[in-house]
Amino acid sequence: MVFTQLLANSLIAGSIYALVAVGFSLIYATTKIMHFAHGAAVVIGAYIVYTLFTLWGLNFWVAAVLTVILSALLGYFMFRLLYVPLKKKKASNVILLIASIGLLILFENIVLLVYGADVKTIGFIQVAQGLPIAGAVVTKLQIVIFIVSLILCGALYWLMQKTRLGRNMRAVVDNEELASITGINPRKIQTAAFMIGTALAGVAGVLVGLEQNLEPSLGIALIIKGFTGAIIGGITSVPAAVAGSFILGIAENFGIWYLPSGYKDAIAFVLLFIFLLWRPTGLFGLNKGVKDA
Amino acid sequence: MLNPYFVHLGILICIYIILALSLNVTLGYTGLLNLGHVAFFGIGAYTSTLLVKAGVPFIAAFIIAGLFASVFGYLLVLATRKLKGDYLALATLGFSFVVTSVLLNWSSLTRGPLGISGIPKPEIFGLLIKSNNAYFLFAIVIAVITYLIIWRITKSPFGRLLEATRDDELATRSMGKNTFALKYKAMMISAFFAGLAGSLFAHYITFIDPSSFALTELILIFTIVIVGGIASLGGSVAGTIIIILIPELLRFFALPSSILGPMRQIIYALLLIFILLYRPKGLFGRVDVG
Repeated sequence: MVFTQLLANSLIAGSIYALVAVGFSLIYATTKIMHFAHGAAVVIGAYIVYTLFTLWGLNFWVAAVLTVILSALLGYFMFRLLYVPLKKKKASNVILLIASIGLLILFENIVLLVYGADVKTIGFIQVAQGLPIAGAVVTKLQIVIFIVSLILCGALYWLMQKTRLGRNMRAVVDNEELASITGINPRKIQTAAFMIGTALAGVAGVLVGLEQNLEPSLGIALIIKGFTGAIIGGITSVPAAVAGSFILGIAENFGIWYLPSGYKDAIAFVLLFIFLLWRPTGLFGLNKGVKDA
Repeated sequence: MLNPYFVHLGILICIYIILALSLNVTLGYTGLLNLGHVAFFGIGAYTSTLLVKAGVPFIAAFIIAGLFASVFGYLLVLATRKLKGDYLALATLGFSFVVTSVLLNWSSLTRGPLGISGIPKPEIFGLLIKSNNAYFLFAIVIAVITYLIIWRITKSPFGRLLEATRDDELATRSMGKNTFALKYKAMMISAFFAGLAGSLFAHYITFIDPSSFALTELILIFTIVIVGGIASLGGSVAGTIIIILIPELLRFFALPSSILGPMRQIIYALLLIFILLYRPKGLFGRVDVG
């Protein structure tokens, strides 16, 4: 019974991490930006839905859809106002990385300034009795989180493989310059990737906001998890990032079977460090520009 | 006597000058994208605190704090020597996260998130540094010594080799120089002084917890070095003074501390982003970041 419960917890945690990781990895693959402020985008999504639904009393579904649209816009502005000017100045990847950490801190503190440090709850779903499934107890919301996450990851995969936009995206992922020679505008594709990625962060924000209490500092924790999942799987591939996120969820939740529960976060950090050192391409990724030849 | 508020700011400025100068050795002079600096700061602070609490004389604990951080600097370069570009930056950032989570979870040693309070003020050869004025003097002495040593290092042939490694590693290697040795020596020097700064910080504030050495602190140190200028020691000193003093202007508006804290971080983040956008060399820098 402990086993199935831990498995259920792993899958729920993995679903959230996967939603964060796919957006992050989509953005990284197309733009080569380690977009740490992605974690802040999740938190901003959660606070938008809190504002629209809990404070202003909008219908929940309207609020959720608006949140996703506003998140996509946030992605557009982050890319156009910060990263494009930096890229135009031929900023190195490291400058982009530092800038994104600066942006993460900026957003976190703006949220802190506007909403205060006390925890917020959205309160759309009353705390419900869990349903027993094969010996594990899970709430309806957790099942919804799992299904939404799988559907969206699947939809993104379909988009990447089957549509024209997806094909152009894969071309930019593979080689930006060559793609532009064939008439693809990489800037447009990258903007689309930022908007889709950040919209997914908005969905993650809505789900996180329903599942747990909101705090401004949530962003750093979430991006570290999503990012670790992406690194474990392989950061330049969307399905790999999803697989890595579930592996991280499993490692964390089964890890605390043996370790004190305080070490849950430490498991993620140690996995992150081990993978960066010995297998920075991840389990299923390609070796491109990671190591010295 | 001196105004206690200015003395407090002065001590903080001295500590951050040491941190900025030492980060400039790796980030500026050697071109190592070192996001692990804040971990060395934390390792130094905890080492010194735990040693002094165990009865070791302050001056020994102070030096050991630096040396211990330095050992971690060596290990970090050893572990990450194959990585380049943003993966190196990420691995060193990962190192910072690992150190923070060890500090948070190794409760029997570090008291975890509760932190360690009641850290004694330093006692050097029977002389107790009790007042803040005396501590200010002590911090100035350490900061000046740090500046002189790092200045001497960067002007030496060794320092020029570090800059050569930054500008063209392959060419430096083909001149028969061992760039791995150059990198780990630079990192060890940098980590040593960060460890000293940690000790200075811990015994001044007399309370440390893992959140004092988290990501926001790292951004502060990075902002200082990047605003001051890459590979410019004078820039690091000026940068520290500017960056520490700017948010203090907010005090004139008598804002509550729940606004003051986030405002300070917002100012740092905006400054960092604007400098990266409009003047990546920093105010006094000679080369671009990264």
